[in-house]
Amino acid sequence: MLNKETLQALLQEGLETGADFCEIFFEDTVANSLRVTGQEVTNTSTQNTYGAGVRIIQETDEVYGYTNQVDENSLRTLIKNLRASFKGASSKASPLGESKPFDNGIKKPMLDVAASLKVEKLKNLTQIMSEHDEKIIQTVGMILDRFQKILVVNSKGVYQNDERHYTRVILQATAKDENSMQQAFEGPGRFMGFEIFDAIDFKALAKETAESAITLLTAEDIESQVMPVVLHNGFGGVIFHEACGHPLEATAIAKGLSPFVGKVGERIGSEKVTAYDNGNVEGAWGRLNYDDEGKPTQNNLLIENGILKGYLVDYRRGIMMGAESTGSSRRQSYKYSPTSRMNSTFIAPGTDKFEDIIKDTKYGLFAKKMGGGSVQPATGEFNFAVQEGYMIEDGKLTRPVRGATLIGHGKDILFKIDKVADNLEFGQGMCGSISGSIPVDVGQPTIRVSSMTVGGAGGKK
Amino acid sequence: MTIDAILKRGLEKGLTDLQIYSSRNQSLKITIYKGRIDQHVESDVQSVSLRGIYNGKITSVSFENLNDENVDLMLEQLKDNASALTADEPALIYEGSDSYPEVKPNDFDFKSVPIEEKIALAKNLEALITGKEYVKQVQTTVYQESLNETIIRNSKGLDLKRNNSFAYAYAIGVFEKDEDTKTAYDIKLVKRFDEFDVNEMAQKTLEQGWSKLGGNSVPSKQYPVVISNERFSDLLGAFTTLFSGESAYRNLTPLKDKIGEKIANPLFELIDDPMHEKAYFQIPFDDEGVACYQMPVIEKGVFKGFFHDLKTASIFNEKPNGHSFSGSIDHTNLYLRPTEMSFDELIKPISEGIYITELAALHAGVKAVSGDFSLQAGGFKIENGKVTTPVKMIVLSGNFFEMINQIEGIANDLKFGLNNIGSPSIYVSKLSVGGDE
Repeated sequence: MLNKETLQALLQEGLETGADFCEIFFEDTVANSLRVTGQEVTNTSTQNTYGAGVRIIQETDEVYGYTNQVDENSLRTLIKNLRASFKGASSKASPLGESKPFDNGIKKPMLDVAASLKVEKLKNLTQIMSEHDEKIIQTVGMILDRFQKILVVNSKGVYQNDERHYTRVILQATAKDENSMQQAFEGPGRFMGFEIFDAIDFKALAKETAESAITLLTAEDIESQVMPVVLHNGFGGVIFHEACGHPLEATAIAKGLSPFVGKVGERIGSEKVTAYDNGNVEGAWGRLNYDDEGKPTQNNLLIENGILKGYLVDYRRGIMMGAESTGSSRRQSYKYSPTSRMNSTFIAPGTDKFEDIIKDTKYGLFAKKMGGGSVQPATGEFNFAVQEGYMIEDGKLTRPVRGATLIGHGKDILFKIDKVADNLEFGQGMCGSISGSIPVDVGQPTIRVSSMTVGGAGGKK
Repeated sequence: MTIDAILKRGLEKGLTDLQIYSSRNQSLKITIYKGRIDQHVESDVQSVSLRGIYNGKITSVSFENLNDENVDLMLEQLKDNASALTADEPALIYEGSDSYPEVKPNDFDFKSVPIEEKIALAKNLEALITGKEYVKQVQTTVYQESLNETIIRNSKGLDLKRNNSFAYAYAIGVFEKDEDTKTAYDIKLVKRFDEFDVNEMAQKTLEQGWSKLGGNSVPSKQYPVVISNERFSDLLGAFTTLFSGESAYRNLTPLKDKIGEKIANPLFELIDDPMHEKAYFQIPFDDEGVACYQMPVIEKGVFKGFFHDLKTASIFNEKPNGHSFSGSIDHTNLYLRPTEMSFDELIKPISEGIYITELAALHAGVKAVSGDFSLQAGGFKIENGKVTTPVKMIVLSGNFFEMINQIEGIANDLKFGLNNIGSPSIYVSKLSVGGDE
């Protein structure tokens, strides 16, 4: 690793030709995966990501370069290449400060855990799934762990180390009968080590996953229609993530590519909706101590009782927008220039009760488990898939349905939320955008959307 | 450490066989926004993947820290990873095929073109779209080039090399008319810099954007549906795991035990052709060093066989057919055979139908094992045999296996996508469309 004096000199190189900001982001990451299929270990792999990314900015113009040659000479050459894009007087880099401390509270770092222990846990879970029903024909359990060490330094004096421990456990059950083959999936993740197995009741989750695959076998395809939709807590938060989270990122706002541009202080949703993006939820999959520009993460209020309160902002787009960074700058690896991204995004709990919301719904869809989705911030059109759903008829959950995809417009959907329960939970996913794929939490209590377009292949008869 | 030194070191450490996949990627990306450079990214990264056999088990590691100490650490990790495996499966490293198909070298040096020309190209493309009718703004304009050199070498004497260089560009136009906002882009990938035609790209982007404006949803029901060549290529791409030997081995494809059976309308013919001249890249060998060759996947509606890597070929007692890419099984250049029929003839018999030109979030709305799909879509109405007004905010739902049996027609407009899948436009007698009623 390069010493501070060398780093200081390199940052100064970046400012010699008119730029006013220079940053170097170093990364050394090891990611492991271990897969158990049925009762056999069928796959192991290790991936090391190692290199540095250099960013030089003049006003708001940016150049970025990355390489896995991280010696002083290679970095100096890279910086000289990059700074050639700018013309102007030299300025002086601030002296580098001290790295601020961080406490990850990791109890059992994955690097210290023997493969045999991981295997034992997974075999136990695949067995629970296999034994759940004879129609379960295949089970998979995986542990994905990633340990990312970073150092970010910049010409404003930031010198910050951080360490991120990500552990995710994937469960997948495949069921088959004479008519079809169906799969169910769960993938909880935490900013934790092996203690994730103490934090989550995986045995119950394994049963639930197997049961979900079995339910899908008998579920009918839903018929396309417009109707009220009750979105369950946890991963149901993907609706807010797609419909509102992305359009509130400075990535979209700074270019005016969002229905929420210039709407701070205005009503953008029903009074029932209060939402946050929190970068520092203890043990959460979307957590970071410091963002990828070295700024401490924080809890950002986005919407309060339907009124827009703020955006998610990074350093560079903050300059464009005249706004402070919100500690939301993230990137997949040194191969990406950072931008404003979500961490743990959620709709705050309300006062409605889950049972009452179902009882109060005459006819609709209960989306118990959600799949992924996408949004186009420029148009605000979003979609997401329902993994496991049930019809609500006369205030009761009746038959299971499958294959539903819900679509809508970001600017309408928040106004249509007419119930918010008190049962907030998080779900975990990987979120893709221009700075790569990063771990995020989505979250919400059970909510009801008064009307949505639901598409499905049912109703052919 | 050099490649040969790593090979030697690995064998010294007790690996039975070892293969090195060494890849150097250099890239340049320029994005333009409102006449200025928004992003300018340059990179040079070398990475190494090792695949080795230890105590009869095969596994892999990959790394970018190439110093000696880390290479040693990674070789030890490879042994640990192999020791954790319990499945009794073939562990094979390949000595090489007898011969490999000849391909034209693809090694244009994009670095020889001054960066100013690349910036000018992107600025020019943006300017040709900006300010035109209904164009609210150009969201981003991208120029990206990539140069890749790959070496595959192993302890059984395999020694292969391939170079790949290409660049692409596009601009995303944001179109607005009344309260309706739509985006459009036309991506162009080239092997030589002078193949770019910004005027044509701008024109296609504008025409696409204009055509989408003013659309409405439609009532929910079953419609005859035509899916455009580009979108059916995307949809096929979401179901290719059904044809993987690994899926067959793991019981994760309904096509297991269906070789020789009719699974589609006889019109439906899928061919995997690594050398197809219309595809973006010709592929002489896979990542295990196995020569690639043309193979039928579905012939006259009959399923002909799975894609294999060394392992699954051995399990199914078949010849390896060159489908190991990035550690899993994948197609080379897969395409649906076109017919002689023009697009106009294809849609002529449809009195009321939907022409699909947009599909979103295929990662979310497709369940490959069941064949079910349900996707946000957009396109146009087909009325009395003609494409008429735009349609937006609909959901297209169906089942892959049912759909390939309900194909009514296939056009002649074969086009390959960047996913290396080629398709003509197709006409399906009935698919479910969810709309605003």
